Amino acid sequence: MNNSLIKYAGLISLVGLLSAGCTKSYTKINTNPASYNQTNFDPNFLLTAAELGYTGSTDFAYETWRGNLIYCSTMMQGFSSVVSYWAGDKYLLNSDYTAAYWGFSSDAAYPEQVKPIVDIVQSTIGKPQYKNLHQIGRIFRALVMERITDLYGDVPYFSAGMGYYNGNFFPKYDSQDSIYNDLLKEVDEATAALDPAGDKPGGDVIYKGDIAQWQKFGNTLLLRLAMRLSKADPEKAKTYVQKVVGKTMAANADNAFVLGDATGGRATQNRNSQILLGDGGQEHYYTKWSKTFIDLLKASNDPRLPKISVTQLYLADGSKDQNPAANSDPAVQKGMPNGRDLSGIPGQTIGDDPSFTSFPDYSSPSPAMIKRNGPTFILTYAETELLLADAAARFGIAGDPATHYHDGVKAAMTYLGQYDPGAAVSDADAETYLTAHPYSAGTGLAMINTQYWIHANTMLDFYESWSNWRRSGFPALTPVNYPNNATNATIPRRFPYPLAEANTNPVNYKKAHDAVPGGDLLTSHVWWDK
Amino acid sequence: MRKFHLSRGMLSCALGMQLFCFLSARSQSTYAFTAGVNKRVVQKKTLDNKLGTDQNVQKQTLFSVLKELNKTRGVYFLFSEQSLGDKLVNAPEGDSTNIEKTLDQVLKNTGLKFKKINDKTFVILSGKNNAGDNLNPAGLAPVFAPDGQDAAKAKVTDVIAGKVLSADGRPLSGVSVTIRGSKKGASSDIGGVFAIDARKGDILVFSSIGYVSKEVVVGDETLVTVTLLLSNAQMTEVVVTALGIKKERKSLGYSVTEIKGEELTKAREVNMLNSLVGKVAGLNVSSVSGGPGASSNVIIRGVSSLGQTNQPLYVINGVPIENQPSGTTNNGTGNMGAQYDNAPDLGDAMGNINPDDIESISVLKGAAASALYGYRAKGGVILITTKSAKGNSIEVNSNAVAETIINPTHWQYIYGQGANHVASADQPAAFQSGQSSYGGKLDGNSVVQFDGVKRPYIAQKKNLENFYRTGSTFTNTVAFNKTFDGGAVRFSANDVTNKSVVPNSGLNRQSFNLAGNYNVGKHLAIDVRMNYILEQAHNRPFLSDGAGNANFNVMFLPTSVDVNVLKKTSNPDGSEYAYSNNIYATNPWFAAEKFINNTKRDRLISSANLRYTFNNGLFLQGRVGRDSYNDHYTAVVPNGTAYRSYGSIAEQNTSFADLNLDGLVGKTFQISHDFSVTPNIGASYRRTKSEMYTNNGDHFAVPFVYNILNATQNKTVSFFPSDQEVQSVYGTAELAYKGYLYLNGSIRNDWFSTLATPGKKNKLDVLYPSVSGSFVFSELMEPGVLNFGKLRAGYAVVGQATTPYQTQLSYTFNSATLNGLPLGTISNTSVPNSSLQASKAKEFEVGAELRFLKSRLNLDLTYYNKRSTNEILPAPASISSGYVGAVLNIGELENKGFEVLISGVVVKGKDFGWTTTVNGSLNDNKVIALAAGASSLAVGTSRTGNGFTQDVVGMAADQVMGFDYKYATNKQIVIDPVTNIPVQGDLKPYGSAYAKWIGGWTNEFSYKHLSVSFLIDGKFGGKVFSATDFYGYFFGLHKATLINREGDFGTAGHPINAATYYSTLAMNVSKLFIQDASFIKFRQVSVSYSLPAKWFNNVVQGATISLVGRNLFYLMKHTDNIDPEAAFTANAQGLELGGVPPSKTYGVNLNFKF
Repeated sequence: MNNSLIKYAGLISLVGLLSAGCTKSYTKINTNPASYNQTNFDPNFLLTAAELGYTGSTDFAYETWRGNLIYCSTMMQGFSSVVSYWAGDKYLLNSDYTAAYWGFSSDAAYPEQVKPIVDIVQSTIGKPQYKNLHQIGRIFRALVMERITDLYGDVPYFSAGMGYYNGNFFPKYDSQDSIYNDLLKEVDEATAALDPAGDKPGGDVIYKGDIAQWQKFGNTLLLRLAMRLSKADPEKAKTYVQKVVGKTMAANADNAFVLGDATGGRATQNRNSQILLGDGGQEHYYTKWSKTFIDLLKASNDPRLPKISVTQLYLADGSKDQNPAANSDPAVQKGMPNGRDLSGIPGQTIGDDPSFTSFPDYSSPSPAMIKRNGPTFILTYAETELLLADAAARFGIAGDPATHYHDGVKAAMTYLGQYDPGAAVSDADAETYLTAHPYSAGTGLAMINTQYWIHANTMLDFYESWSNWRRSGFPALTPVNYPNNATNATIPRRFPYPLAEANTNPVNYKKAHDAVPGGDLLTSHVWWDK
Repeated sequence: MRKFHLSRGMLSCALGMQLFCFLSARSQSTYAFTAGVNKRVVQKKTLDNKLGTDQNVQKQTLFSVLKELNKTRGVYFLFSEQSLGDKLVNAPEGDSTNIEKTLDQVLKNTGLKFKKINDKTFVILSGKNNAGDNLNPAGLAPVFAPDGQDAAKAKVTDVIAGKVLSADGRPLSGVSVTIRGSKKGASSDIGGVFAIDARKGDILVFSSIGYVSKEVVVGDETLVTVTLLLSNAQMTEVVVTALGIKKERKSLGYSVTEIKGEELTKAREVNMLNSLVGKVAGLNVSSVSGGPGASSNVIIRGVSSLGQTNQPLYVINGVPIENQPSGTTNNGTGNMGAQYDNAPDLGDAMGNINPDDIESISVLKGAAASALYGYRAKGGVILITTKSAKGNSIEVNSNAVAETIINPTHWQYIYGQGANHVASADQPAAFQSGQSSYGGKLDGNSVVQFDGVKRPYIAQKKNLENFYRTGSTFTNTVAFNKTFDGGAVRFSANDVTNKSVVPNSGLNRQSFNLAGNYNVGKHLAIDVRMNYILEQAHNRPFLSDGAGNANFNVMFLPTSVDVNVLKKTSNPDGSEYAYSNNIYATNPWFAAEKFINNTKRDRLISSANLRYTFNNGLFLQGRVGRDSYNDHYTAVVPNGTAYRSYGSIAEQNTSFADLNLDGLVGKTFQISHDFSVTPNIGASYRRTKSEMYTNNGDHFAVPFVYNILNATQNKTVSFFPSDQEVQSVYGTAELAYKGYLYLNGSIRNDWFSTLATPGKKNKLDVLYPSVSGSFVFSELMEPGVLNFGKLRAGYAVVGQATTPYQTQLSYTFNSATLNGLPLGTISNTSVPNSSLQASKAKEFEVGAELRFLKSRLNLDLTYYNKRSTNEILPAPASISSGYVGAVLNIGELENKGFEVLISGVVVKGKDFGWTTTVNGSLNDNKVIALAAGASSLAVGTSRTGNGFTQDVVGMAADQVMGFDYKYATNKQIVIDPVTNIPVQGDLKPYGSAYAKWIGGWTNEFSYKHLSVSFLIDGKFGGKVFSATDFYGYFFGLHKATLINREGDFGTAGHPINAATYYSTLAMNVSKLFIQDASFIKFRQVSVSYSLPAKWFNNVVQGATISLVGRNLFYLMKHTDNIDPEAAFTANAQGLELGGVPPSKTYGVNLNFKF
């Protein structure tokens, strides 16, 4: 019997030997057949996604709806809405909406902008075939990060999107000061390193890989980054402005924009347009140009008014069919006051407002601007000139403020043709306007930045309207005082940090949350907002 | 000699079904199969017959005639004397449809006669024999192969052979036969036959697990028929352990709980796992509030894994079944527990199994019990054995139950729809204030509602009752059992027709189960099973968020809006009859009637088990099992939906197959009379593949027609493959001493494909050892008050590998392109890890089983301590890292606890009996460590965005988290100086989502034919974040929002109304919604009456009629507006929202056996 036990033990060893060592195919089994890796994937494909991502998320662009439109557009009195959940119009806090831009799971800024752009930068290091793609990646990364920090203040920056590369899954919140330092350095270096003789990135939907255009873009972005610090660190601002004089965008043809694509549905169509066309609810009927905005254009006979504004566009809240006979006559344009609702409560319901007749009588953004395959503007020549005008007026550098003002305002009118040829303001009409409203040094900064505000509003880049308004203080906007507001009737200055960070990044969240001067609130100021 | 046996085995394989049998008479030579000379004879004979060398056409040998009849008719023959086979008999004439007529003709004038034993078995007797003398009383004579014709010449006077039978006459295989005082041993084969060299006067000891050992003194008889009696079931209960190995309970060094199939079938659940609640100490069963066919969350001995599934492994007849609840796999459907997930629960794999087919369930709780399953055993193992045929019968079981909801809400009904404590003034105002109940006092006045119609402004308290209907479930099963000589077949067909309480929702399931076993010869046993399941779920209800979710929207309807008004469902143009400007507040009737969420599953679980047992007891076992299913899921957001008027469709097809092969070799070595060793060794192979294709599209060209080709925009295709392979080898050894001391050891090594990384040589394998022992100390004591006592202890290592494709960064494409350019994406949502290792859990357990007063009072105690290390976590990361998580080997987790089972026969009378059983467990769970520097780890996020679950170092896993008030240094609550609303403080843990104490109390009363049983169960110490209460504050439904309802909460010059105050408070101080989920529930009651067979003229052998009720009411709970057991996903316990309200079921169960 013991003999058989030994035999039995032999059999055990045999089976053991047979089973080991058949694991050669395991790496193949554990490779997803439906995917690519860094050896066979062209990072240009990620650039396309990152550029689109900057214009809004592929999943219905909730951050555009909530951040750009519900909050920024109404706080900046570009738009006005009586839709009850448009919290920004009334300075109410909806922490889901203020968190929307930051992103969660696979949507919005960090996952859809930061993650791919960081991957482009990291995966192309030291690869000569992607020399320019690498630098464009660095420039675009700065663009992406600039908006995030402008909205929230101190944010994860140095380790942002680096989870795969540095294994830091809980990035700390870097100070906005240090972020801007690095943004300036990055854009400066990357722009200088662009090589017109190098690769022509095929994934670039903005300039089709044109390196000369990217050089201008880089310098223009550097200008904007520098000017953001005009109050917080004027010396640094001046240094960088002086670096880029003469190298920035020189014409509307240099404008950076991404064209939407209606065929991809909500994944690729123009982000602002889908909301303003009513895909999200009744925004088409109840979201209008703000009274502040229309009144200002009207008072100055701004030739942009009939191009961007129509009344009678939608005739009923239930119908999303545009009225072909919408009225673009500047005389009938009427903005809707901010801070009103549909409650029927005296003093707060829109029906009580002296301006109220009917909703179709209020001005809507014109159909030319809200096309599903229309452009989303990222950075424009008009901004360039207005920023240079600001630098000139403020610091006495970068040339003549009046010239820059003239060129900036003109470009801000003529560029509308990029929405739709029919929306273009002619050179002549622009000159007429500028003749009637010449630059005046005494009110220079107010004029320049009010024009910047008008321009950013027509770009529907209300994030930028808000940032420049916070920086410059112009135009002077009268806050609304809606019952129960969360800001003591002041215009919000930043977005609170997303509550989700308290859950997924608790230590760093708490540190940052507790460190916001004045508290982690809508009313606190970011570092450069002095 | 052993060599010879092997070749004999092969021969018997070769003979296959042409098996002949004969009945031995007095001659010892009958048992000559133990001698080597016989084989050739048989072969020659067979050959002769094949070649037709026997030229006598009129007369043939009896052997050849009977062989032909066996072949053509499947009839078996037994000879009273082996020599009869050579007798010449008449050739059969005509067809042989009537065996008896044929035999009459064949045996005519041959001096032979026959006796019929049953339809398939006849004994051939020589004329001089008296038939009765040669047949044992059971009519089941030893059955031997037709070799050994020349055996008479062999000298085998020392061979004792015979057959071992159970009391009901079935042959018993694997019975150990030893000779007292010698090392000689043998065991019975599948036919119960044994042979052993013995001399007159030797004492043969027959022993087998579960039977009382018997000793037989060898006398003159060399043919012995031994009947073994079942041992006292409580003392030597046989349980199914890992790999299907049956063991005596007393030999186990770990805790195993068995549940009989009938416990699942009376008061049943659509997902049978839910029937286990309260029945097993240490088993925590929670169902998802997703209606019929929703997943169940089963946790054994606490959460033992931080990042991966905590579900036990289910093994059905040896086939491991993955039971990932929907959402856990990377397939894009189901609720993962993330904030914006809202989707139906698509059910799990175990929910498909028909409880009527279940014979028994063995719960292997600890690592020592489950160690043989290695990497799949970390969450424990649940072994399910399905029924095999027993006897010949037809069983019918019918169950019909009705289901009604239990409204869990206690909303305020003083204020109605509106805002600012007034009713809406006009239609736009009513529509804009939509879901808010912060309106005016319900005064009965006529008020304009969302649709412009004026209605009385009154409380609608019955919205839930009016919306949900009375559901029903009809379950019918018919099973056919057929036992024949050498095998048995069982076939069952089952139909479940369920109508959910949610309108337009329900589930149908048909399952077919075929189980057959057949013994080929004495050595080879084949067991083949197939379970074919067809399941169709119609409109699985959404959970969590409000979009498309009927449950959410009916739950939070403003107090003055009558749900029946919304029953209009659609406007004339087909668009949603919406009640709010929030497009995501879907009309509940529209969500129920127009949305489509249908699933269809075709599933085949098949297994084949071949076991070859040698005469010396050595067995070889080979098994193959495959679980495969095709799932089809159609999800349609219909045309006219407020949030997607153009409509969208998703068609998802998943094919899944899990193949498992294993082999096992084992034998018991009787080292001495007192001491035996049983080693088993084996190897297994597993390959699991799935492929999921999803087609999406929106904008239907022809509105209201929902097929994928009708979608015109945003058409996308996605493809999710998954593939993994595991190879394993393992071995066990059991040492037994004198039937009271046992030592078990096992070792297993697994190799995983999921750890492999291209270009990297990482360790792909891990070793899992175990050791356990049992000491039946009562064997050494004089029987007294304590009649049985056993101590046990075990230690083991088990583990868990990971899912495929987590070791490399990979890229893919968005389905859409941007003006022709592809959109690249990184497909990993979690950071990959190229140096993953398999995780391990080490568990130690000790226990005791004590039985007193002749086993009328029984006690089973267990203490365990389990430590999980090197956890593979898709650890949630800050999204600012670009990823939602990172696959890491981090973390350490401890579970320690007690389990108690007390059962007692309180009354044991002639007519009346009362048995009571209490089980309870305490689990102390603690997260020991997470990633270096990390003190917490996110798990789930409530839709509210301010309620979470986290694992926190030093606390029990799955802490329910909420924001506290902010406190000043003087401990005063900080309030905002302008708004006067309390400011948000820190996010703090308020206790684990998992109950610490779980218990169940079962009572069974019987009086003659009547029996009554009920189950009360409870869970204590778990917490739940009530998003329902959050929205109760938000919408003004919660009674707490009545305080100062019309007053001003703000400061001078800055008024704040109740709606702003309470909704901001709810946002800031979410700890207000963390509730104690403890409860005691009257879970189940059944009243059964067994109808005597004589009522049916004995046509019906048994009939039982039962009245049953389940989930009837709570005896204790602390939640105000929710079911304490509510959950919207099996993946994030402790969060609830938008599920189907709790319901109770009651009905009737009928069981007939023909």
